[in-house]
Formats: sequence, structure tokens, C-alpha cells
Amino acid sequence: MNDAIVLKGVTKTFGRTTAVEDLNLVVPGNALYGFIGPNGAGKTTSIRMIMSILFPDKGELSVLGFQSAMDAKDRIGYLPEERGLYRKMRVGAFLTYMAKLKGVSDPALEKRIENSLDSVGLAGTSRKRCEELSKGMMQKVQFVAATIHKPDLLILDEPFSGLDPVSARLLRDLVLNEHRRGAAILFSTHVMPHAEELCDSVVMIHQGRKVLDERIAKIRRQYDPRRIQFDPLNPEADLSSLRSLPEVERLDRAEGGYEILLVEGTDPASAMGRIVQAVTPARLEVSRPKLEDIFINLVSGSLEGSESLAALREGLTNNAAKAAAV
Amino acid sequence: MKRVFHIAVREFVVTVGNRAFIVGLLVMPALIAAFATLMPRLFTARDYKVEGQIRIIDPTGLVTPQLRTTMDARQIAARRVEQAQRAMANAPPAVRDLAGNRGDQAIQTALGPIPDLRLEERPANADVQQEKAWLSEEGPGLTHMALVAIHPNAVVPSGDLEYGTYDLFVPSNLDDRADSEIQQSLREALINARGEAQSLNRAKINAIIQVPRVRSVTVTRGDERQTVRGFNIILPVSVAALLFIGVMTGSQALLTSTVEEKSNRVIEVLLSAVSPMELMAGKLIGQMAVSLLVLALYIAMGLTLLTSLSLFGLFNPWLILYVLIFFVIMYLVFGSLMMAIGAAVNEMREAQGLMMPLMLIMMVPWILWFPISRNPNSLSSVALSFLPPVNTFAMLLRMASNAPPPWWQVWLSIAIGVGSVFVAIWFAAKVFRIGLLMYGKPPNFATLIRWARSA
Repeated sequence: MNDAIVLKGVTKTFGRTTAVEDLNLVVPGNALYGFIGPNGAGKTTSIRMIMSILFPDKGELSVLGFQSAMDAKDRIGYLPEERGLYRKMRVGAFLTYMAKLKGVSDPALEKRIENSLDSVGLAGTSRKRCEELSKGMMQKVQFVAATIHKPDLLILDEPFSGLDPVSARLLRDLVLNEHRRGAAILFSTHVMPHAEELCDSVVMIHQGRKVLDERIAKIRRQYDPRRIQFDPLNPEADLSSLRSLPEVERLDRAEGGYEILLVEGTDPASAMGRIVQAVTPARLEVSRPKLEDIFINLVSGSLEGSESLAALREGLTNNAAKAAAV
Repeated sequence: MKRVFHIAVREFVVTVGNRAFIVGLLVMPALIAAFATLMPRLFTARDYKVEGQIRIIDPTGLVTPQLRTTMDARQIAARRVEQAQRAMANAPPAVRDLAGNRGDQAIQTALGPIPDLRLEERPANADVQQEKAWLSEEGPGLTHMALVAIHPNAVVPSGDLEYGTYDLFVPSNLDDRADSEIQQSLREALINARGEAQSLNRAKINAIIQVPRVRSVTVTRGDERQTVRGFNIILPVSVAALLFIGVMTGSQALLTSTVEEKSNRVIEVLLSAVSPMELMAGKLIGQMAVSLLVLALYIAMGLTLLTSLSLFGLFNPWLILYVLIFFVIMYLVFGSLMMAIGAAVNEMREAQGLMMPLMLIMMVPWILWFPISRNPNSLSSVALSFLPPVNTFAMLLRMASNAPPPWWQVWLSIAIGVGSVFVAIWFAAKVFRIGLLMYGKPPNFATLIRWARSA
């Protein structure tokens, strides 16, 4: 299958600020790709360049095989971060207008719109004016507008921002449906657990530069398989035998139990066998590395000891907390 | 191209379907109709009657009896009938036909009720300075309207036909209509008195000096008709007004809708489906269709009026074609610039400062319409008709004047206008593309120019 998006050495500057620097990216045709990074990392600028809303100062890009998204706009669905509707327009009329701009000439367009609205739980709203809808309902209408033409590539910029938990879950299902239908999906978020939950691959960007571009499964394998979550069956059990195991580097209290850090190079499977023999566990599992930890780990080299790192860590933790609430 | 069409259709339908637009479209003709019918009624002089007392010091003793006659209500009424007949004779035939017998009556109604002026004669040697005090006196009875002091030589010349006149003293609150009535009566009285003093018959004098003003005949190819005074002034103004209304309607709507789309954040959704140029082109075309609809309506109304007044023959129908050509040029220049301003700002309030130069340019033709239409081939008129963006207005004013420019000047002005359209659209497109996604501090002109150069 052809690649949906290819970026080669793309750079974009605004005045003295470099928003995106030498970005290389390949999003395969069937991918569900997460574009992650903190606020101001350059995600929206990159997406706008992919959409040919902005143009790179340097580098090349191709979208669905075309040199410019302009030539493939009818095959791309886009939900921008700054979402908007014509407030006085009726929902049905707005969707019809967007569908026509996307080249849909289906004689049964009205029916298609009704079905799409029904699928997002907005049946019977096509005669309503957009301004009569709640914020969540508006976002659903915008999602329908982005997908009404059944795009081959769906680009979503911060799709979950401002959504309540129920709407966020519905939107996640809709995104997965689009992926199952065959659309390649690239969505950006600064809330990394969202990407972790949905994507099969992520590209991490920080200060305009790519810091990671990998499949989620590989990331989990690659980054920090040395942490093991452990709860003793007997809370009063003596853990000194555990500490004395040659495979164990450190044992720390963690939420609801302990976290064991293995000595580098240790095989987690054999170490887990030894742990079970030392202290009977109620729970024992390899800790899955969180994307934000990986991200912090990756960017900490350039930020070590600085206030920026603390601020970044705090920001990501807050976003993760919000995501957990959702 | 299809996308441009869809955007244009939406712009047209949303604007034309808007209640405010429909009301606005009807307001202008309704206001004109209201002015034409209601204003004369509301401001008619029927409620104002000139009524009061006049003192006269007449050392000749010959003017006072004549003045009593000329101030007589029947004399004044007769003078007014004569005035009305003169005015109707100068009106276009269609207006005369339309007015019928009611024309004289309408003019007399407009002039108001017949004045009631009482004359009080003072001794010939009365002191003018003392008599002036009477004007300031207030009391029961008639208003003290004027003191007239006739010069001793007002009736019989002192030298070789050196006639004197009179001094007129009035209180501070005297209405100018009363002043006019008094002076008119005094004029008549003095002429009559002088005539009698020379043993001349007034009727004969009137007949001798009477040379009625004839109506000139305008000769056109294959047709001739009586000249309608004022048409050569009204036509250029009407044509310029049409252009102004069309351009303002479209460009203002473009500014508003662009600002609205940007502030609603719908612009990026649109840009995911169309290019900035397609969006701009679609909006320009859609609003141009709206403006053309407005123009068509007003032109149709104007032509109907001309036809009903049998004045259609005085109007060159080709002028409509040129109005449309110049409208398209001017609309594209102003519309694209207004759209660029709309894209650059975050809300309408911020657009005011950037719009000011464009609004001032739009006002230039209104400042210059009279000199251009009176002297359409003067150096400044010719120069202005080649200076974009006011060349469209200036050239149309010249074309609608009574000395139209040669055809090559018209087409040179059109060519310059087309060139200015390309420059305006080039500039606007660059600002539009950058401005659409810019939020925050509104730019100034220097920033807009920097955007255009960097895009």
C-alpha cells in the first residue's frame, strides 16, 4: 500500500522562530498514527503544511501520492484544532455545503448526512441551527463534516480537547471505525495517553524537531522493560530476600504496592521466576512504559536540570491526569 | 472551479436570504419615495402666514398708494398665479401632463397662504431713528414687521435717470419669506409709481419688457425633444451613486463575512477543502452577484422612471454597459482589498482603522463630481479618469456629462482599471492567505505590505 504522508526534511519558520525543523515522516496508507508533543511543539504547523494550508520553507512532502494536498483535498478529511461552524447555518445545510466542497455528488447526499448524524448520536438535528448545539454536539458535527466524503486520509488535530468522557469515548470509536473502513489516520495530541490508547505508531515532536518515530509495541519493548510492578500476597511479608536478589537493582514503594527496577541486561522472564520464589506475589507484571516518561527521557538530555524540564514534566503530568479523567 | 461555484452560491444565497439585506434593499427606494411624497407635505408653507404691520415714510407721497395696491391680497394672488405658470412652462412635458390643472395649485400651495400685510403711513418728515424703536415694541395686535423709508428720488430721478430706492428696517426675528414678500411688493409699487410719474402705462411697459424664456430643443440622431434642464447634472450623479451603492454593498458584505468566518474559526475547516484563492474567488463572485442584483433593481427603477417621464430618449443605453464594466472593475479592487482587511483582523472593530483609507478614496468622487461633470474635459478631470482606483468614477462622470470623452480614453481607462484589478487581487490574495490563520494583535499597513512581500 502507498504511503499516505511523506515528509522529507521539512522546515518552517515564522520570523525568527523555527516552528518545525528538518522533519522527516512517513505515514503508511493503513496507519493509525499519533502525532504527539507538548503545546507549541510544532504539531499544528506540521499538519497545516501537510494540508497545504501553510507551505514549508524547505523540504518536500507528498500526500496520498501528490506533491500537494491541494490535489488530493477531496480524499482528505481534516478536523482542525480551531474548530468552527457557520453559527446561523443549519446543520444539514452546513454538512451539504462541506460535502459539495469535498466533491461529493451523491444524489442521496441528504440521506447520507442523516445517517452520519445518526451514527454520532445527533439524529434529527439537521434542521437545527449550528448555534443551537452544545459544544460537544458541534464537535460531532465537525467530525461528520470531516468524514462525510469517506476520505482515504483523516487528519485530526487535538480531536479530544474539550470533550466530556462519553463524547470522547464515542469519538474514539468513530476514529477506529474510520480506520477499519480503510482510512489512514494521523491525529495530533498533547495528551499522550490518548495516543497510547489509540495509535499503532507515534511520532514525537519537541521544539519543532522529531525525537521519536516508532510503533507503540516496539517502543514498549525498547524503552525500559526493567520495571516490574509487584504486590506481595502478605502485606507484612519480609522483602529483604527480594532486595538481595542479584537481578534486583532497586525496590521502591509505588502506588498500591512496589516497583522493582531490574539490573540492566537482566531477562525480565527469568527475573520474575526468581521473584516469585523469593516472595509470593498477589500481583506481578512488567510495567508498561508511559509515553510521557519516554518523551521526558528523550528530551531530558537537552533540558537536564533546567526549569524547562520541570515545567514540561508538570505539563505532561497534568495532561495525563486530564486524560485519565476522560 | 466547482468549489468556487459552490462558495459563490453560498455567499449569494446567505446574503440575499438575509432579512437585513431584503430590508436594506427596499429601504433606499422607500426613502426616496418618502422624500418625494412626504417631505413636500411635511414642510409645506401652508402653516406659515406672513401677517403683520408695515410702517412707511414716503417723502414722495407716490409710493404709498401703489404699495397699498401691490400688497392687496388679490394682487399678490395674481402675481403668484403668474409665477406658477412660468414654473410649469419650464417643466418637462411629462411633468406638465402629469400635473395637469393641479400644477398651478400645487405651486401655490407650496408658497403658502396669501400674506396679510397692513400699511401704516408715517409723516413724510418723520425721524427714521425714532421710528426704528417701533420695531422693538411688543404689544397686542399685529406684529411690527418692517419700517420702510422711501428715498426722495425713488420715483422722480434726481439726475439723468438716477433713481433712488428705499431703506428697509426689520426686527431680528423676521422670517425671510416675509422679507421677500415685502420687497416684492415694494418693487412693484416703485415701478408703478415711476411709470405713472412718467405718464407711462404699466401694461405697456410690461408688454415691452416681456421676452418669455423659450425652452431649447435638444437634437439627437433621428430625434429631437425639448431640453430638460438639470438632466445633465442629475445623470452623472445618479450613475456615480449606482457605482457607489454597488461597490459598497458588495465590499462591505465581503469584509463582514470574512471577519465572521475568521472569528468563528470556520476558516480552517474551509481551507481543508479549498485553497485560499478558491475561497477568495468564490466569495468575490458570490457578492458580485449580490451587488449586480442590487444594481439591476435600481437601474430598472431608474429606467422605469425615465420612461414614465418620457425622458428615456435623453439617456444613452450604452451607459448601462459601461456602468457594469466600471462596477466590476471597482468592485474587484475594493472587494478584494476589503476581504484582505477582513482576513487580517480578528473582529470588525479592528477593521475600522484599516478601512479608513479605502473609505476616503470612495468619498473622493463625491467631492469631485460637480467640477468633473461641469468641466468633463479639463486637465484634472482627464487625469483623474486615468488614476486608479477613482478612474472608474471619474470616467463615468465624464461619460454621463454633456461632453463625453472620446472612446479611446474610455477604453484606456478600462485597461488601467483592469490592471489595477490584477494588482489589488495580487496584494489581497497574499494578505488573505497569511492573515486568515493569524490571530492576536491586529496588523497595521506596514505589516500588510510585509506579508504581501514575504508570501
